[in-house]
Amino acid sequence: MSTTADTADHTPVFSVDGLWKVFGPKADRIPGDPELAALGPAELRARTGCTAAVRDVGFDVRKGEVFVVMGLSGSGKSTLVRCLTRLIEPTAGTIAIDGEDVRAMDKARLRALRRHRAAMVFQHFGLLPHRTVLDNVAYGLQIQGVGKNERRERAAEVVAKVGLAGLEQRRPAQLSGGQRQRVGLARALVVDPEVLLFDEPFSALDPLIRRDMQEEVVRLHREEGRTMVFITHDLGEALKLGDRIALMRDGRVVQLGTPEEIVGSPADDYVRAFVRDVPREQVMTVRTAMRPAASAEEAGSGPAVRPDATVSEAIEAVARAGGPARVLDGGRCLGVVDSEALLDVVAGVTAGGRAAGGAPGSKSPGEAPAGLRVPAALATTGEEPV
Amino acid sequence: MRRRTTSAVAGAFALALLTGCGAADMTKQASPYANAQGARTVTLAVQSWVGSLANVAVARHLLEHELGYRVDIVQVDEVPAWDALSQGRVDAILEDWGHPEQEQLYVEEKKTIARGGDLGVTGHIGWFIPTYFAEQHPDLKSWKDLNKYADRFRTAESGGKGQLMDGSPAYLTHDKALVKNLELDFKVVFAGSEAALLTQIKQFAKEKKPFLTYWNTPHWLFEKVPMTEVMLPPYEEGCDADPAKVACAYPTAPLQKYLNADFARDGGEAADFLKKFAWSTEDQNAVSLMIADQKLSPEEAAEKWVDGHESTWKKWLS
Amino acid sequence: MAAITATARKASAPGVLTRPAARKLLALALVAAILVPLATARWASGSWPEALTVDASGPLAGASDWIIDNRDSHPLFLYFFGHVSNLVVVTVRAVYLALLAVGWAGVTALAGLVAWRVAGIRLALGTAVAFLACGLLGMWVPTMQTLALMVVAVTASVVVGALLGLAAGLSDRMDRVLRPVLDTMQVLPAFAYLLPVVLIFGIGVPAAVLATVVYAAPPMARLTALGLRGADKEVLEAVESLGTTARQRLLTARIPLARRELLLGLNQTIMMALSMAVIASVIGAGGLGDRVYQALASVDVGAALAAGIPIVLLAVVLDRVTGAAGANLGQAPRPRTHWLYVVVGAAVVAAAGRLTARLEWPDGWVVSLVEPVNRAVGWMTDHLYSGVPVIGGTADWAARFTTWVLDPIRDGLQWLPWWSVLLVVATLAWLIGTWRTALTAVLAMAAIGVLGVWNPSLDTLSQVLAAVAVTLVVGFATGIAAARSDRVDRLLRPVLDVFQTMPQFVYLIPVVALFGVGRAPAVAAAVVYALPAVVRITAQGLRQVDPAALESARSLGATSAQQLRQVQLPLARPALLLAVNQGVVLVLAVVIIGGMVGGGALGYDVVFGLAQGDLATGLVAGAAIVCLGLMLDRVTQPTERRAKKGA
Repeated sequence: MSTTADTADHTPVFSVDGLWKVFGPKADRIPGDPELAALGPAELRARTGCTAAVRDVGFDVRKGEVFVVMGLSGSGKSTLVRCLTRLIEPTAGTIAIDGEDVRAMDKARLRALRRHRAAMVFQHFGLLPHRTVLDNVAYGLQIQGVGKNERRERAAEVVAKVGLAGLEQRRPAQLSGGQRQRVGLARALVVDPEVLLFDEPFSALDPLIRRDMQEEVVRLHREEGRTMVFITHDLGEALKLGDRIALMRDGRVVQLGTPEEIVGSPADDYVRAFVRDVPREQVMTVRTAMRPAASAEEAGSGPAVRPDATVSEAIEAVARAGGPARVLDGGRCLGVVDSEALLDVVAGVTAGGRAAGGAPGSKSPGEAPAGLRVPAALATTGEEPV
Repeated sequence: MRRRTTSAVAGAFALALLTGCGAADMTKQASPYANAQGARTVTLAVQSWVGSLANVAVARHLLEHELGYRVDIVQVDEVPAWDALSQGRVDAILEDWGHPEQEQLYVEEKKTIARGGDLGVTGHIGWFIPTYFAEQHPDLKSWKDLNKYADRFRTAESGGKGQLMDGSPAYLTHDKALVKNLELDFKVVFAGSEAALLTQIKQFAKEKKPFLTYWNTPHWLFEKVPMTEVMLPPYEEGCDADPAKVACAYPTAPLQKYLNADFARDGGEAADFLKKFAWSTEDQNAVSLMIADQKLSPEEAAEKWVDGHESTWKKWLS
Repeated sequence: MAAITATARKASAPGVLTRPAARKLLALALVAAILVPLATARWASGSWPEALTVDASGPLAGASDWIIDNRDSHPLFLYFFGHVSNLVVVTVRAVYLALLAVGWAGVTALAGLVAWRVAGIRLALGTAVAFLACGLLGMWVPTMQTLALMVVAVTASVVVGALLGLAAGLSDRMDRVLRPVLDTMQVLPAFAYLLPVVLIFGIGVPAAVLATVVYAAPPMARLTALGLRGADKEVLEAVESLGTTARQRLLTARIPLARRELLLGLNQTIMMALSMAVIASVIGAGGLGDRVYQALASVDVGAALAAGIPIVLLAVVLDRVTGAAGANLGQAPRPRTHWLYVVVGAAVVAAAGRLTARLEWPDGWVVSLVEPVNRAVGWMTDHLYSGVPVIGGTADWAARFTTWVLDPIRDGLQWLPWWSVLLVVATLAWLIGTWRTALTAVLAMAAIGVLGVWNPSLDTLSQVLAAVAVTLVVGFATGIAAARSDRVDRLLRPVLDVFQTMPQFVYLIPVVALFGVGRAPAVAAAVVYALPAVVRITAQGLRQVDPAALESARSLGATSAQQLRQVQLPLARPALLLAVNQGVVLVLAVVIIGGMVGGGALGYDVVFGLAQGDLATGLVAGAAIVCLGLMLDRVTQPTERRAKKGA
């Protein structure tokens, strides 16, 4: 639950610490009162009539990463993301954007934040039904006072970018769900924000369209490297998109880490149950199964895999070669993986999986890819060793 | 926020300017429909009974065809018509059955209404039974005999008592007080309008059923359904002063015309014409009958009468 | 786990259902046990005790006289009401003159083109035909007078209503204050609004316009507030997340998002304004209503229809065009140039009319309806009125209805001790609603007693009860038939549409011809007037029953009677309750007007007050009508206040 230490020299885009949001009468007293703060949701409700949607949450969102907040409905994730731009006023804690205190901002400053720095995409799109696609996209610019021609021009570019060219004059009611969410995405992109906030943007869509949209986000992220905070209740989506994932339950972050950490070393039984059905070989990298080369011979021969290749890729390589594979990082051999270790990862019985606490020691968290991570779905082509 | 307040203030200011900023006497505001398109317009009040309709129809016909006015007709009940007359929303009432209180207020005190002279018709209000019933029961002559026959006049509406039918609530009536003060075993049932009462009377007459009704002469109905008056205690000056204690007959009154004071002064030909307008009971009945019984429109009836009585109306125009 | 909770819930269901009701009854019984002996000991009378009445007519008469004396001198009148009145006169006159200046061809063209732009070619043709029909019936000038009055009244209603709605939509406190007031105003009979305005403005167009505004503004206000409050939360959140100011949010999102409700509000405001503009002829509105009113005075059904048809045509056209505007929302807009065509087209036609000096409707082009209609009515009265073998004539029915239904109800109500009436009202209101509704209902009923009009009010109430009973029996039966057969539905729909827009006055004429004078025709008119709404709500409610529930019933082999009884009717309960509520409200409105055809009671007092200038009597009766309306609404109003009614 600790925030991952920020080793990079730049300040995080969002820095959240000790954040609380309590709904109900006299909500202010809860965060400050250790006894009340320790209560479970049911007792808290019975004692005070309050509901704590977000409890003592802290994390940093680094520049350029996709930060996923994931949890089941009612876990407080949507409240959390709304607190970031104070669409919901937090009860306690600090939020900083690029080091600037969000909670201390006055109305004008806050508006400026919403207008220029953080744009949000909503689950049910939140489009204005009486405006055309183009005017919906241009809406954010209109709010900022951009002239009609300029904003339409800029909006048209973004509309084309999200693949809606030709539909500019349609009304939202005339679009499919996926198209509507593309409009929502375009509306957020057009103001060129520093951070994109996604609140379960694809959960109202059909599975196939959802996958298209996920690809779209991946593509955008790859092209523009924009920082994203992504809320979802879908673990698959979280694992696919997230550089780091904060897993929430009852308002608390129960685990924060890379997909691999979450799947490989669940912090508690709740997380473990949560990730049980995940195809581990597609999330875990070979680092987890790696052991030092037993001999120089082992270090010098056999198929090569990258250190961030998934276990499933390594299995393929090992199966083809019929022997252990080397993990090569820029020509240097970090270790080897054999079929036994790989199978242990798949079965979830590796030492790393068992001794969750010890696992982080074997790999430095700071090494977790801070920038662009190739999502699993795209990485399947990377069987070719470096 | 400040801008909104300023604009609201400016708006209020503009409105005040527009409306003239000064005093506006609503009692001097004419009907918005008057004098449209430059036509000279006279607005006449008509009441709900046919006699009144006949007066107005003939006056209108002559005003429009002989004098070139445009005539608007507004249906207003008598008492409100006084108010409307005083405000100038109506220019003239042609048939008033006597409203001493209003006359005192508007004619004597405020001087906003001027007398327009007699209509030429004398009105009388009383209680009537159909002549066929009176002939069968010659002993039924006055109010004293009514209780004997109360059960003959019973209807579903009056329950256990005899039914005394009254017309429009606009009519001058003390019937409720009369029934109470004369200790009659009757119940007053209001038809709501003269037309409703007429319909009812005609239906009773068709079946030769007995009925007792408040009615007034002159009226064309007597030609269709002969009716005989049931005498009430004689009228004496002032016996109807307290409406709750009335126990005497209705007064007999020559019907009056009233004009808006300004109209009477500046109304030109129209005002002169209306002041001179006066006709006989027979003339009025003739037109009323055409309207109510032959179902001619008031315009047609008036035209017919005007065609046949040139000598009568020529006098009004001179 | 799920199974356990399910069975537990099932087992406790009857208990949960009956317990609150039983508790309420018990509490009421307790209160009654304490208060009733006290009340009977002090004021032992069947009717409302004299000691508890307040004579309001004395002071009211004084106030009325004072106003008449000071109307032309007191500053309040000179500097405020005078200006209001003047503004109304000036604007109505301006619109009227403009309409006349455009000429009949120009007005028809303009109306048709606007309808075309808003609602398409079919409605455009309908609109043009409707206007031409008004001319053909010889009603062009009265139609223009009514239209002028409507334009002013509707504009004012919309402005006032939208502002109130904006306040209630944006501020929770305003909403709490305004909502009950608006809800209540909407259930009050139109007649109750006439006297207060007459008191201040006297008889005439200003009073008529203001009464219309007061009557027609509430739906606009309610629907505006509803639209603003009902806006999609996520859209508003999205808009906020883009950094809008409150003002930007209101103008670019909240108001546009509420467009559907705003248009519905406009539609309802227009319809209510039209019906009021007709009734307001009693206080000098002029125009078409006045023609109906005059025709009523001479039982001239033909003439009443000749004026009534243009009203119906206007109503249908206005309703359809504004309705279509609402339905077309969200579709691709038509190019703006179309408005240009509208303006140019109308201008060309108007100019052509001017040049050919054909502004006034040609006298020769008038078709008289009066005679054939009156002949038909005459035949009806001759042959149906009485002496029809076996079934008896309509007069016999009326007499029987009066003797066997109306009299027993009235006598029963008046016989009941006053406190027991209050108790019954309290019980009904509490069973169907909360203690608040019960309190309101009881207070309203008590106010009637205090005003000293207990007996006439019970008389009116007895007519309402009888009419509602008939309306519900006939309405539910017809509604069920319409819900079960598409053919019946198709046949009924246009009939219902027309009946719902007919001015109430027109109903009074044929019922007098058929049933004579008295309470029976008043009840008959009320039934006919309230029936369409009840039929429509019932049919809609039954048709909207969850198809899945019906399907499952069918799959279990339920007969269609079983489906109706066991599935459709129980599931349509809210709609049926709404139908009862609407039925009561509409019936009350017409029973009051029935005072003009011998209905007597409160309605007669209002008419009497207006006719005799005895505003005190009228105002007291008007207040009693308000209380009665309030009580009846509360007694039939289920707790979950419906989101919007009358739609």
